[in-house]
Amino acid sequence: MSNYGWLRTLLLFIVVFSVQSTVSEWLQILSIGPDFIVIFIVSVAIRFGPATGCFWGFLAGFTQDVYAPLEWLGANSISMTIVGFAVGQLEERFLTVNLPAKVGVLGLAFLVNDVFYFLITGLEKDVVANLLVTRTVPECIYTLVIGAIVFYLFSGKKADV
Amino acid sequence: MLRAFRFIVDLFTQRHGVVAFAFFLVLGILMREAPTTVRESIVDTSLSTVFYPVQLLTSSVNDFKSLQAENEHLKEENARLRQETYHASEGLQELARLHTLVRFDDKWDFPIVTARVVGHNPGRFLTTLVINRGTHHGVKDNMPVFSMNGLVGKISKAMVTHSSVQLLMDPNLKLSVLERRTRVVGFLESMDGRLLSAMIPSHAGVAEGDTLITSGLGGIFPKGIPVGTVRAVRKADLDVMSLMDVAPFQEFSTLEEVFVMEKDPDWIIQELLDE
Repeated sequence: MSNYGWLRTLLLFIVVFSVQSTVSEWLQILSIGPDFIVIFIVSVAIRFGPATGCFWGFLAGFTQDVYAPLEWLGANSISMTIVGFAVGQLEERFLTVNLPAKVGVLGLAFLVNDVFYFLITGLEKDVVANLLVTRTVPECIYTLVIGAIVFYLFSGKKADV
Repeated sequence: MLRAFRFIVDLFTQRHGVVAFAFFLVLGILMREAPTTVRESIVDTSLSTVFYPVQLLTSSVNDFKSLQAENEHLKEENARLRQETYHASEGLQELARLHTLVRFDDKWDFPIVTARVVGHNPGRFLTTLVINRGTHHGVKDNMPVFSMNGLVGKISKAMVTHSSVQLLMDPNLKLSVLERRTRVVGFLESMDGRLLSAMIPSHAGVAEGDTLITSGLGGIFPKGIPVGTVRAVRKADLDVMSLMDVAPFQEFSTLEEVFVMEKDPDWIIQELLDE
């Protein structure tokens, strides 16, 4: 990634977090909203590889951790680092990932991120089960729809982010 | 400088990112395992030096200063009037029921600080807000925070120019509540950071649509701040208690202004908090 690339991704990072804080609320249906941050991590990791995926995953996770309960500090950072690294294995330099595959990876990344997050925070089993059914799955589906649109719109410009 | 940066980048990208992965994973685990004081320090430093300035900048795009000052003044007055209305209603109810004098210790005669919300958790679990008022404006840790609609939370950390607000949705915030109709006391918490639940004795007959207010028993929140309405009543593990889903009066994700009540915790609570 070039210096210009880092700067561009940083700006995008700020934009994505602003969008997540504002637009995501407006798009909510029955309190279910899309997660633009996971879309960002998946896009960056696929585009630039595992090291960059880890870095932005950690940064995004840490940004969320700062505003989360103190007891959960590090949970988002770890789960998003794992997602960034895992998705980065599909780096576009080495593999061609088409749109349906990208959307599939996004869905998997979303689920993995939430499962790791719930495991690390140490929430009770029944609470986690309830959250997985009532939140994770619906939000995952919603994020897939939004992610598919984002990937489709930006795939032609050779910049998934 | 640039060369050092490139060196670090090259080091991290070695072995297909395994070095970077291990580094960030260890960093995350260290944060997770760190003592509370270190965690507080990490959060406070990050918030003060990076996140607060950035969020302040992004949230100031549509900030029209002159209108804002007038708005703040009007809203402060409105909030105070609303509080008085709620208080009057509480007092009347108490008067009718007890046929005695209104309790003076319930009066909210604390000064109010108006604050603007400049940042909140960008993730899906909204548990913290950042406001643009700090110790410089008289805000201290554990002061109650409310909006025009109802209780929002409490100050979890007051810094010089800004403060973090711990929302009701934070699983670590538990508060004593009072059901307005039956006058029975229970407690409210969020177990998962998404939904509010209240545990109230079953015999009281609290039903869907009933209103919960702060009981004043916890020592931090004064009595009578509206909290939310009971949305559903479920059986708890204990037969003597009912578990209730509560819809807060205030939608936290849309908050723009809040009011901080300059009320210190009761002395006994303060001592416990200090310990």
